[in-house]
Amino acid sequence: MTAPGCGRTVLIVEDDADTRLALAEVLRDVNYRPLHAANGSAALEELRAATTAPCVILLDVMMPIMDGKQFRAELQKDPALSEIPVVVLSAHADLDSAAQQMQAAGFLRKPVELSALLATVEQFCGRE
Amino acid sequence: MQNGPVQDELNALRASAELRTVTESIQDCAIALLDPQGVVLTWNTGARQIEGYAAEEIVGQGFDRLYTEEDRAAGRPQTLLAEALRTGRAQQEGWRVRNDGSRFWADEVISPLRVENGAVKGYVKVTRDLTRRREQWSEERTLLPVASVTDYAIFMVDPEGTITTWNLGAERTKGYRADEAIGRNFSMLYTPEDAAAGKPRRLLRRAQEDGRVEDEGWRVRKDGSRFWADVVISRVNDGNGKLIGYTKITRDLTERRRAEEQLRQAEERLRLMIESVQDYAIFMLDREGRVATWNRGAEHIKGYTAQEIVGQHFSRFYPPEEISAGKPERELELASSTGRFEEEAWRIRKDGSRFWANVVLSATRNRDGVLIGFTKVTRDLSERKRAAEETAERARQHSVAAELGLYALQTAHLDQVIERSMQTVRETLQIDDVRIFRAGESLPPGARTVRIHAPEPDAEYGFLAASASRPLTANDVAFLQAMANVLAVAMARSQSEEQLRRAEREAAEERGNTVRVQEALLERDEFISVAAHELRTPLTALQLKLQGLENSGGFPQPKAERLCAAVRQTERLARLIDRLLDVSRISQGRVEMAPEIFDLAILVRQVAEDFREPAAQARAALELQLPEKVEGSWDRLRIEQVLVNLLSNAVKYGAGKPITMKLEELGDVVRLFVADRGIGIATDDVDRIFGRFQRAAPIRNYGGMGLGLYIARHIVEAHRGTISVASKLGEGSTFMVELPRLSATAAAGRDKGPRARA
Repeated sequence: MTAPGCGRTVLIVEDDADTRLALAEVLRDVNYRPLHAANGSAALEELRAATTAPCVILLDVMMPIMDGKQFRAELQKDPALSEIPVVVLSAHADLDSAAQQMQAAGFLRKPVELSALLATVEQFCGRE
Repeated sequence: MQNGPVQDELNALRASAELRTVTESIQDCAIALLDPQGVVLTWNTGARQIEGYAAEEIVGQGFDRLYTEEDRAAGRPQTLLAEALRTGRAQQEGWRVRNDGSRFWADEVISPLRVENGAVKGYVKVTRDLTRRREQWSEERTLLPVASVTDYAIFMVDPEGTITTWNLGAERTKGYRADEAIGRNFSMLYTPEDAAAGKPRRLLRRAQEDGRVEDEGWRVRKDGSRFWADVVISRVNDGNGKLIGYTKITRDLTERRRAEEQLRQAEERLRLMIESVQDYAIFMLDREGRVATWNRGAEHIKGYTAQEIVGQHFSRFYPPEEISAGKPERELELASSTGRFEEEAWRIRKDGSRFWANVVLSATRNRDGVLIGFTKVTRDLSERKRAAEETAERARQHSVAAELGLYALQTAHLDQVIERSMQTVRETLQIDDVRIFRAGESLPPGARTVRIHAPEPDAEYGFLAASASRPLTANDVAFLQAMANVLAVAMARSQSEEQLRRAEREAAEERGNTVRVQEALLERDEFISVAAHELRTPLTALQLKLQGLENSGGFPQPKAERLCAAVRQTERLARLIDRLLDVSRISQGRVEMAPEIFDLAILVRQVAEDFREPAAQARAALELQLPEKVEGSWDRLRIEQVLVNLLSNAVKYGAGKPITMKLEELGDVVRLFVADRGIGIATDDVDRIFGRFQRAAPIRNYGGMGLGLYIARHIVEAHRGTISVASKLGEGSTFMVELPRLSATAAAGRDKGPRARA
């Protein structure tokens, strides 16, 4: 099981701990280095503290303290962070329009199939 | 008769030489003493000379023989004695009879003689002969001015009727000159009929007997013409009372008679005219108000015949209350003081009925201004009054009806309108009993009823029934009908309003229900939405972990197989949740189509391929009847969902029998059939299977939430297509989806981001 991740960083922003850990687990399985935060505010701290920027941010929409939309807005204000692609991850019914609104690079509907998740992350982290 | 003390007195009186001398010497007066019975006791010289009896002839005889036969027969002598006794003196002028039977005109005084105690001893009779004086008076009257009198025909005839004198008046009245008349019998002056009947002789005889006779009648002039004459014939005696002839005074009354005749005729004409008048009661009252004349109009109007009413007081034409108030008398007084009285008032007919009368009462006076009675003209105005009253009544009833109509219009409550109309009828018609009867109720006998019409022809709400003691007029009935019509309108309105209120109530309830149902549905959709989201979060973690495990490999059998099944179940769980979310989105109208052009035949094959395994498990052979290529513009994922739903139903309910999927092209329309030969759907259930959570099959045998067909219907309808089913219980069902090749939304392409398949 060679790792397509090559140790590249993926930021997971998700308030549900189980989901956050499950996501981190399967990504680590394929050799990514997952960072994770329980809300937008924590995610911003994580990003500013990180030495290398993640190749993609997996972003939940509904979260306490700072939700996905606020986080995305903050991200866009920061030139150092605004270029990082964001994939919206939600059970929200209007996921596609919400993703467009947030100028996301893509979206994944919960529950996420493992293959779809890996394919999407590969799409952003495979280039360079 | 020569009895006691009286006789003694008389004898004493007679013995009085002095008195005798006095009385006996008196020649101008006949003085006689009478006993209480009228027997002559003394007789003086005057008596002998005047009355012709010697004392010895008369003393001892009753004094009544001195009177005429007529006077004796009439009891005059005794009457005179009685009068003298009563009043103390009786005086009389009249004829007396002498011993020789001749008559003389006498003045006679009889006085009673009384003794000291007041008893009557007898009478003194003193009689004077007035013949001479009478003749002198007669001659003066007759002879002196006679010749020159022209207004009267004055002439004398002898006892046989032969004319002896003739004056100017006679010549002028009768046309004969004196020389033509004198010597002829006066009967020539009478009409031949009167002459033949012996009238002239009869008149002379009466004049001879009574001294005087008066006659009015036709007389004849010389030229034969007649004239109406007033004739007085008087007996003429000589100095001894012997008949020597008659004076005849004739006045020509022709002119007066003509005038009288004309007047009489005029009166007669007037009387006839008055009598024949039918429309007016014209009659006369005497001064006291008693009916004196009666015409036909009076009989016609008042009902009495002349025989019944003439002589009766006119007050009986008045109502009792006016009689007791003295009105008839007051009217007579007014008429006599002002000449005329007029009024319009009630009068009473013979049968007691009243009529409205115009009455003019005029005082009637003679030429001298003396009131002789009243003329009364009465007209019966009942008809006119009734007509006027009817018109007024009709106008009043119209206005009352109009007023009630307005009230009914302004009043929403039928009860109030009914109450007011009952009151209006009672007040206007002056009746007590008016009621409303429903159609079918038995109506009171004798009541006047009118229908309260219902809007439908020949139908009624009921009847308005009025009972009155008086007969109701056509006016009254028309008024009742007007009231009934107002009621009918009010009832119709009340009925419509009741229906409207009921309908509104039902509609409101319906709206309420709908709102509640909608609210309930919204709540449920909301719940489904929230529940689906909540389920997805743990499912995400579960599925990732299981798939992660499966991917990592290294599990020996049968653990690897069990892990695989767990992954399949989580995937199935995810699909169920997706479907729930679809339903909630559909019901909230949040489904958006993303059409793209693709080949439907390929999609059908793919779905059929996906179902190969479950179909095989249900022992249902899948048969495809597909054209080479069926292109169109549709939302691929949604259409795939429709196919999956229809096919999974067919597999579920058509187990053990072949399942057919068929595509047909009809120009711009594409038809998809999915047919099974399973349990089928009852006719009653066909319509509801496309609803939410609806299932035709009993839940214990067949699982599922009953959402598949609901979602399929909405997807098809969003493509402007239709979905239907033909089914027979026990024989299977065939679902048909008809889609336009290009749905309206196909043109609206949109920027699509990457999508994950549900």
